[in-house]
Amino acid sequence: MTVSLSLDAITAHYGTTKVLEDLSLHVGEGELVSLLGASGCGKTTTLRLVAGFLEPTAGTIMLGDRDLTRLPAHSRDIGLVFQTYALFPHLSVRDNVAFGLKQRGMGTAERHKRADDMIERVGLGHLADRYPANLSGGQRQRVALARALVIEPPLLMFDEPLSNLDAKLRVDMRVEIRRLQQANGTTALYVTHDQEEAFSISDRVAIMNAGRIMQLDTPEVLYSRPANAFVADFVGFENMIPMRVISEAGDAVRAEMEGGATLDFPKDKFTVPAQDFVLATRPEGLEVSTTDWGIPATLGLRTYLGRAYQYQCMTPAGELKANGPLTNPLEPGLHVNLVPQPEQCCLLPAETA
Amino acid sequence: MNTRTHPLLVAFAVLTFLFLVGPLVIIIGTSLSDTAFLTFPPEGLTLHWYQNIFEISAFRRTIMTSFALAVGGTAISMMIGVPAAYALARYRVELPKFLGNVYVLPILIPEIVLGFSLMKSVAIGAGLPIMTSLLLGHALLVLPYCVRVVGASLNAFDFSIEDAAVSLGCPRWKAFFTIVLPNVKAGIIAGFILAFITSLNDVSVSIFLTGPGVSTLPIQLLAHMEQFFDPTIASVSVLLMFVTVGVMAIVERTLGLTFLTK
Amino acid sequence: MVPFRSSPRLRAWALSAPAILLVTCFLLLPVFSTLATTFGDPEGPFATYAAYFDSRLRMRVLWRTMEVAVITTVISVIIGFLTAWVVAKTPGRLKSLLIIAAVFPLLTGVVVRSFAWLIILGKNGILNDFLLWIGVITEPLSMLYTEGSVIVAMVYLFVPLMILTLVGVLEGIPQDMTDAAASLGAKPAAAFREVVLPMAVPGLIVGSVLVFTGSFTSYATPQLLGGERQMMMGTFLYQNAMVRFDWVAASTVAAIMVVVTLTTVLLMSRVARKLNPVAG
Repeated sequence: MTVSLSLDAITAHYGTTKVLEDLSLHVGEGELVSLLGASGCGKTTTLRLVAGFLEPTAGTIMLGDRDLTRLPAHSRDIGLVFQTYALFPHLSVRDNVAFGLKQRGMGTAERHKRADDMIERVGLGHLADRYPANLSGGQRQRVALARALVIEPPLLMFDEPLSNLDAKLRVDMRVEIRRLQQANGTTALYVTHDQEEAFSISDRVAIMNAGRIMQLDTPEVLYSRPANAFVADFVGFENMIPMRVISEAGDAVRAEMEGGATLDFPKDKFTVPAQDFVLATRPEGLEVSTTDWGIPATLGLRTYLGRAYQYQCMTPAGELKANGPLTNPLEPGLHVNLVPQPEQCCLLPAETA
Repeated sequence: MNTRTHPLLVAFAVLTFLFLVGPLVIIIGTSLSDTAFLTFPPEGLTLHWYQNIFEISAFRRTIMTSFALAVGGTAISMMIGVPAAYALARYRVELPKFLGNVYVLPILIPEIVLGFSLMKSVAIGAGLPIMTSLLLGHALLVLPYCVRVVGASLNAFDFSIEDAAVSLGCPRWKAFFTIVLPNVKAGIIAGFILAFITSLNDVSVSIFLTGPGVSTLPIQLLAHMEQFFDPTIASVSVLLMFVTVGVMAIVERTLGLTFLTK
Repeated sequence: MVPFRSSPRLRAWALSAPAILLVTCFLLLPVFSTLATTFGDPEGPFATYAAYFDSRLRMRVLWRTMEVAVITTVISVIIGFLTAWVVAKTPGRLKSLLIIAAVFPLLTGVVVRSFAWLIILGKNGILNDFLLWIGVITEPLSMLYTEGSVIVAMVYLFVPLMILTLVGVLEGIPQDMTDAAASLGAKPAAAFREVVLPMAVPGLIVGSVLVFTGSFTSYATPQLLGGERQMMMGTFLYQNAMVRFDWVAASTVAAIMVVVTLTTVLLMSRVARKLNPVAG
């Protein structure tokens, strides 16, 4: 049974503090959507609302055609994997996994059989009689996963499930989570603060800030075409240069940056969105060049990145980061131009403060 | 969050707290009664019984003794217990594991057995003076609090800080006083308070070690109750409650009350 | 200082020495000497114990003490657990207030707290006054110097300890545990029965051991509220030692007390470890 999850105009408070404002989100059937953001952005609150540990002050939560909004947590039928794993320390692996089945009134023999099958599927067949205290972090994570999956929930939710694992295990586990989620075709909501993790396993990612979704799209779009300065900054557009259009001359728009330097944007390569806008690039989107078009800069500290050199550059608009080829290391103090690469730049409307 | 506590359970808890606080309120009421025997509620109010505390010389003397004993015994115990706790926390490899349990023996062995044994072997066997035996007995009695509570703070202490001080040229003994002690202050205050209160209220050890001319307040109270049954006892009790209030104020100020449920 | 600097091992022992000395000279040696006394009977090493277990009176003291300690423990566990449950769920300031209300009696001395029950339960006590006033009784009841009066005072003594221990235990159970149980479909009652209660068992055992050994070895409370009639092990030891000056008999009582308390502590901590795989 595959269903979709819909949050409609959700507002939530902790005491008198508003933590979510008018949040709407749709997770399609069998889709995995991540909520990505720094701590305090509202992503965990959203998950706890769906799980039923919190009640929204306004809005509705629908799972398929079931209205979850006022349903107690234990009637929601959602598989939840906790950041702390929340394994019951007094129960063996088998009894932990069988716990949800027991609550559904399943007989001992049947639930142990199903639990054992699931434990086998997550690769812990030999550990069914162990207690959580005697498992490694990765093993606990698998038990938590098995416990959430075995009840065959229409919706799976993950709350920073990998943040307590070391780097190598994190990569293995996220592949495993994605595989199991896709194999079952279960709709899933995944909360994380790790961009790489979110992008690597999600169908779509919602980048959140201050209780709101800033952009919800596929990882590819988020990575290359952020819709606003917040998202751009979040996905690594380290150079943000505020600009203002001063004239249009034929096939180019001329804009001025702070400090008075001007830059022409050919219309066939750039779409200038507004009078005031922001030129956002990653360091690799600014090429160090000796041609005469670009942002005038003086090279500063050079660092070696493996695939390129990175330069701290002093420009009229402040310090910017730019990359240069390994074949031609340049010395600090050199005057150059930084050339924005159209396919690696975004022109974003300036934030209305 | 969406589970609410059952009203019957709340009612039960309310009754429990009435049960806990009620008897103490009754003592306060009795101490103010103007009748010569114990009644509650008091028929008329008087502070006569409080005056009485200071007029009966036995109370005056034993109050002094008890406080001196509590401060002295705890101080001795701290001087002995803090280095021991430090050694346990710092030299985990060098010391045998069971040593930590040795310091807790004064709690594990029934107090009254301890008191009796101390009387037999130390007070009478070795012929130590009464006050000396009492001091030693109380120092021993409160040692577990000193070692354990200070030890808990020391276990949370990052000893690399001490090593950093030593590497910067600070002698080891000085590092202990200027680096370690200030960082486990909370544990020392807590340990001192628990030890002080334990010593002040002790009956089972003191009853065997007190003797002619030297007694402690709880022992004097017991003796007084057997002979006279007047509200002076209640007023002394209220006095002791004031000490408790003072102690709790110190705990609240220095550690916060959550300390007490840990 | 020079040898100190050379060896951490020596430093460790030097710092521990005063405490070890204190415990050895003033606890281990005296207590062993007390225990040794009991095996010195000319009629054989266990003669004093044989005499103890033969005496109906002495055995009654032992059984009474056991009974009082067990009943006190059971009542304290029930009252303590239910109250701690409410306290643990109470928010913020009110919770601090409740904890103060539990700590205050705990820090007030045993003599003072037992004395309160003398005033309440006496012939002219408040309870009798009250019962006479509402007309349930026409003659004052003798409630003092009964097993009941001792138990009431002991429960009063130990409930705060139980509450504080269990509030700590219940608060130590992460919210995630009950959330996880709910997300897996456990109703609040089932979550309590299958998650909260089993996780609290080790704490319950610790609390019970404290209450049992505390009441088994108490002196002041049975002395004040039980008197001669309700002699318990503590008062019996004192009477043998200081009234009858029969130190061998007193030592025998002491030895039995030590054996019972140590057995309880060791046995229960093993049970607690078994039930608590977290520690294993």
